[in-house]
Formats: sequence, structure tokens, C-alpha cells
Amino acid sequence: MKEASITRRTVLAGATLIPLTAIRRAEAQQPATAPAPAMNAAMNPAMNMDQRKILDAFIDRIIPKDELGPGAVECGVGDYIDRCLADYLVAEKPLFLDGLANLDLFSLRTQGIAFASLTADKQDAVLTAIDNNQAPNLRGFFNRVRRLTLEGMFGDPVYGGNKNFAGWDLIRYPGAKLAVGPEDQSMKTPPKPFRKELYGAGENHGH
Amino acid sequence: MATNLKPVDVVVVGLGAAAGVAVLPLTRAGIKVTALEAGSWMQPSDFKADEIHNNVRRRVTTGTKVWDEIPTFRTNPDQRARQGAAPTMMNAVGGTSIHYYANSWRFHPWDFKVRSETVRRYGASAIPKGSTVEDWPLTYDDLEPFYDTIEYEIGVSGKAGNLAGKIDPKGNVFEGARRREYPMPPLRDTDFTEMMQAAARKAGFNPHRSPAAINSQPRNGRSVCAYHGYCDTGGCHVKAKNSTAVTTIPAAQKTGNLTIVERAHVKRILTDDNGKATGALYVRDGQEFFQPAKVVLLASYTYENVRMMLLSKSKAFPNGLANNHGQVGKHYIGHWANREVTGLFPVDLNIWYGANAQGVVVNNWAEDNFDHAGLGFIGGASLTVNHEVHPIAASAMPTFGRVPQWGSKWKKFVNENAGRWLGVYAQCNSLPYENTWLDLDPEVKDKLGDPVCRITSGPKVNEPRASAYAAKKAEEWFRAAGAIEVITVPNIEGPSLSTHATGGTRMGLKAESSVVDPYGFAHESPNLGILGGSTLVTHGARNPTLTIQALSWRTAEHVVKNWKSISG
Repeated sequence: MKEASITRRTVLAGATLIPLTAIRRAEAQQPATAPAPAMNAAMNPAMNMDQRKILDAFIDRIIPKDELGPGAVECGVGDYIDRCLADYLVAEKPLFLDGLANLDLFSLRTQGIAFASLTADKQDAVLTAIDNNQAPNLRGFFNRVRRLTLEGMFGDPVYGGNKNFAGWDLIRYPGAKLAVGPEDQSMKTPPKPFRKELYGAGENHGH
Repeated sequence: MATNLKPVDVVVVGLGAAAGVAVLPLTRAGIKVTALEAGSWMQPSDFKADEIHNNVRRRVTTGTKVWDEIPTFRTNPDQRARQGAAPTMMNAVGGTSIHYYANSWRFHPWDFKVRSETVRRYGASAIPKGSTVEDWPLTYDDLEPFYDTIEYEIGVSGKAGNLAGKIDPKGNVFEGARRREYPMPPLRDTDFTEMMQAAARKAGFNPHRSPAAINSQPRNGRSVCAYHGYCDTGGCHVKAKNSTAVTTIPAAQKTGNLTIVERAHVKRILTDDNGKATGALYVRDGQEFFQPAKVVLLASYTYENVRMMLLSKSKAFPNGLANNHGQVGKHYIGHWANREVTGLFPVDLNIWYGANAQGVVVNNWAEDNFDHAGLGFIGGASLTVNHEVHPIAASAMPTFGRVPQWGSKWKKFVNENAGRWLGVYAQCNSLPYENTWLDLDPEVKDKLGDPVCRITSGPKVNEPRASAYAAKKAEEWFRAAGAIEVITVPNIEGPSLSTHATGGTRMGLKAESSVVDPYGFAHESPNLGILGGSTLVTHGARNPTLTIQALSWRTAEHVVKNWKSISG
């Protein structure tokens, strides 16, 4: 399904001279029913189920589900991170898995039970302690998970996260457009979500 | 054994931003040029509106070769240097001009005479301690015709602030005199650029729009900018960014005198016993070739220019090519450029879209545009704000001490504010120092077994002071624009790997203190020209590419005019 969206980008981008009106026309002709980007879990996950459980518990506290909408878990951030570790961050995988194990050890030592089994409040207490540098060996890991969570939450959905564009809706990023007119850059009328052209989603997708 | 190829007039090593313009005057004059480029042609379909592709994974900016050639870095000679995380270089036809922001500045006349102007106005003691700064062997006026040529050949958008001495407040009132207006007006103004210009004027500054090698109008059969907002570290999907790959290189190809060899990994430049360059030895698809030439133009990124020269040892040059005076690698400058000042605004800025170069600039606190008496530094910084904020970068915003960096409170904060914050990009006038140089790393090697470049960059006093002074002015600017929070996080370490790396084979009059002459030819090897940032003597408070291109064109014209003596 990734190919479908890339092909459309290519078609639009391949011409050498594109007046804005022509791009507008091309946008208008894009089918609203084009397939959504691939969301399947990786075929060969980088994490086993226990490791994934720790990660999901972690990222669920970084960006929790609340009245503002879905959190990192619901948005597929765990899938995003798993795919990174299985592929382009494979060199980082051993260190990352050590981090998950160390988080669990820290939780056992300070709370008496495994991190994923804690209540949300207790998980927050553990993460706050790390954030306040009370577990120096976890400081770098904390920052790394937070960074990857932002990438998964707010990156292009084709990489497995930002499901239904919920991350972009959260920060009110409209979505990329191949051609942007003066009205799209106005401060008086903020741009509306624009997800059809590049991501194959209807204008109201995810709302 | 290397296969010996048929000799050509000129062999160019690296076909990027620098040689990409130089090949045009050469081939127009009928000189046969072979360009060895480590990368390949890129097409608009290689470029995506995708932050992970461009900015996180850096799929556009980095060919495969550069990943093995990332320089190592250390802050003092007692340290073991460590390899940086990501390269700043590029393998592709067009090189870094494909993915750069395309901010296309002329350096200020002061940049060419930092030493003499400083001594004249403030006395010799005002020269920063430990700096090896010299005046350039040419002036702004010498380079002006070439700036003009490049602006018209590739196409630059902007507004003149000094048209042959006539000052226009709509442009950069501090710039050196230019012979004519830019070929295109600035990129589109927006509510945001108007707001920031009004605020700067309120603060008493002289704002103007960024000059950009991006089409603000259709030009030479290519599109106007689509303002889609993925210009930074991406390529242009409508060929509106005027990289050499869509401007001067195709024009040179039309002459029939340019041969481009893609995927050519140059290993060495060879010389004869008299020190004349004889050609370039390269590997392509596992095979070794030697391309003989009458003139060799080395035109890769600063780190690779220096590395190539230090690797190219010979009987004539036992310490590296044209390095018998030990100057190769010296006077390297990592450009001091930071985003130290960040502001939070009470309104949506809507800067998601647009080109990075669709910006607003304040130059009041750069160069010698203000009195430095008693300030304890020379130079200063240009201050720029721009469009083009991507969603991951926006979400990684500072929280101004209002909420933690995660959790429900943070989520509410970014919901409100991810589109309401802004950093100012401060680029400092930067100088060469005794404690800052390039050489070969004793341990880290590339895939061919050659050492990578090593950066040693000791502490500085002048640049952080200049940057801190300019940061105060940036704070004033943001307050005038209605910012409700402004924070400054000083950068006192400076750059490690610099995307504006310059110096290392600097230009000068004497072999004792420089590597190339005022035309870019090596003092010690008369038919070896060097193009690129490595020849710069000082670094202006702005992006260096247009200056590099003006110098490259000048070198090429020099070759054309003096072909017999240089090639003979």
C-alpha cells in the first residue's frame, strides 16, 4: 500500500513545470478512497511480548489517552518503534532492550513490582524519578524513548504510527500539501486538516 | 592496476554546489571537462513531503559513501576524537545544493577585511586572542561581478538594499553595493513575515526578506516555488529550488563538453615530481581508473577537500598535496550558528508551510554594523526567523517551565502551542583559530581503508560573546512581536560537525599562511584549483553557498582566460 501513495507523489512531482492551478486540478482529481498507509505490525518484531508490554506501558504515560484524544499506544507508536528497531535502528536494538530491562529492574527495586503491572500513578512516579535523574543509568533511555515516541506520534503514518492522523490533529498540523497557496499561509484563517492528496484519506478522516 | 583513461582538459572532483557552477564557463569556452561525482542524479520523485524520510532518517541528504566518511570530533588535542552521528556532506549530482535551504547571501564587505578594519577602528588588541584571521586577498568589490553572475545564472529571489550606493529600506540596508536588482522579487510575504518585520521595525531594527535561490516567479521553463514546506533537508519536487543540478549543470551539458561520471569514488589526486597535478585516481563499481587531465579542480565538501589533499602524498608532497608549508587543514572554521532564543506566542503562527528561506532577517547586530567599543568582541550575528516547521520538530518544543515534557499536561500544552513557538537562527561572523584545525584521524577509517577527517575545535571567546549579544536583540525582537515567553539557552561549545564548514585550504597571498592563491589555485601546485568552502578566509554571519559559487565561477573564468599558462 505504501507503493500506491509513493506512485501518486511521483506522478505529481515528476512534471518539470507545474503552475499552482495545475496542481490544484490534480489534487481535485485524486480519488478520496485511495488506500490508507500500511499499518500492519512488523513481520519480525524486534521486541518479544514482554518487552513490548514494558514499552507500551512507558509510551502510554508519555502520551496518555485522555479527553484530548488517543495516546501513543492507540496511535501505533509501539509499532513505529518496533519497526525502527527491526530495521534502520537495528544497531541500537541491544541497548534499547537493555533499557527496557533496566526500567523493569528499577520498578521492582523502587515499587516492588514490574513496571507494566503498576497503576498509572505509580508508573508516573517511576518515570518522574527517572526524569529527575534518580536513576542515572535510565536517563538516556528515557530521552530516547520520548524522542522515538514523538517521531511515531507525529511522523508520516506510513511508518506505522500517527494512526488516523491523531497525532497531527493533536498539534493541529494540517498535513503536507504539494502546492500551498497564500490562503494556506494566513494567520487569520488557520489551515484545515488536509490529508487526501498525500495520504489517501478523506478530509474528515479520523474525526 | 588502474585503467588509464584518455586525457581530458579538466577533471573535476565532486560535482556539487561549487563545481556545479564552475563547469559552465569552462564548457562554454570549449574546454573539455570530466566531472567525477561520488553520487548519482536525483529526480523529483526522490523527494518526499515526509519529515521522517528527510529529517529523521536523512534519506535525501546523504549518499552511501558519506556515511563512511563522517569526520571525528574533539575539543582538545588530548582527547580521542569521536565520529559524529550524521554526515553534513552529500553524494549526488548537485551535491548539497539539492537539499540546502537555498538562503543565498553575499558576504558583507567587512568579512573580506576583518583584520585591517578591526585594527583600524578598534586597535590591534581587538583581534580575538588566538585567531589566525587575515584579510582576504580580494575585496567585496572584486567578487561583486561574480555574485551578480551567479544570482542571474542560477536565479536568486530577493530585494536589493544597496543598489549602486542607493539605499532601499525594503532590502538589506547593510549590504555592499550591488550593480543591479535581484533577478526575482523575494519569496511571498505572509501574515507571519509581515508580523515579524513590523515587530523588528518597532524594536528599531531594519528587517528584510531572506535572499533565496528559489523561484518566486516561473524562470527558465521551471516552476515557481510550491511553498509546501519540505525544502529543508529535502529536494524540490517541482524544480523550483535552483540547485546546480537543475541550473548550471544541465546548461553545461548542452555545450557537449561536459562528461559526468556518476558513482566515482576518488581516492587520490596524483602529481608528478615537479608537483604538477596529473589527474585523479578513482574507484567505480569495484574497478580502479586513472583520469589524466591538464588541470585538476578539487571541489568536494570542506572536510573531504582537506582529507583528499592529506591523503594524496607523493614524492613532491610527502605531507600531502600542496602541503609543504603545513597549511592544509589549518584555519578551519566551524560556523558558529545556533538557535539559542525561543519564543512562545499567544496566536497560531501558521508557519507549517512555506520554504525555510521564506524568512525575515535582521542584520543590525552582524559584522561591524554597530559600534563594538567596550563590548569585548568583534563581529556579531544575523538573526533570521522562517517558515517551514515540521510536526515532529514542533512537538519537541521547549515547555518554558510551564509543564513537564510528557504526560497529559504536556499533551494539552502541545495541543495549544505546537504551532505557536519559534526559534531565531543566529549566524555569527566566525574566525579561524590556532586551536581549531583538520587532519586525518589516526584510527577511524572509511570503507577503502583510508582515514577519515578529524576536527579539533578548541574553546572560543569571541563568537559566544557575539552570539550572546545578538541573543539579547533577538529577545527584544520577540517581545516586540508579542511573545509571552522568551527563553535563551546559550551555546558556548559551538559547532562540532558544521553544515557550514569552511577554511582548511584557505586563500591568501603567501604559501606560509595559506594554501591557494586569490584565484583558488594551489601555491605549490600550479594546475590544481580548489573550489568549495575550504578556500574561505573568514565566515560571514550568513549561509556560505553563494560566496562559494561566486568564487568558483571566478576560478573557472581565470582558467579560461589563462588556459595556456595553467594547462601548459
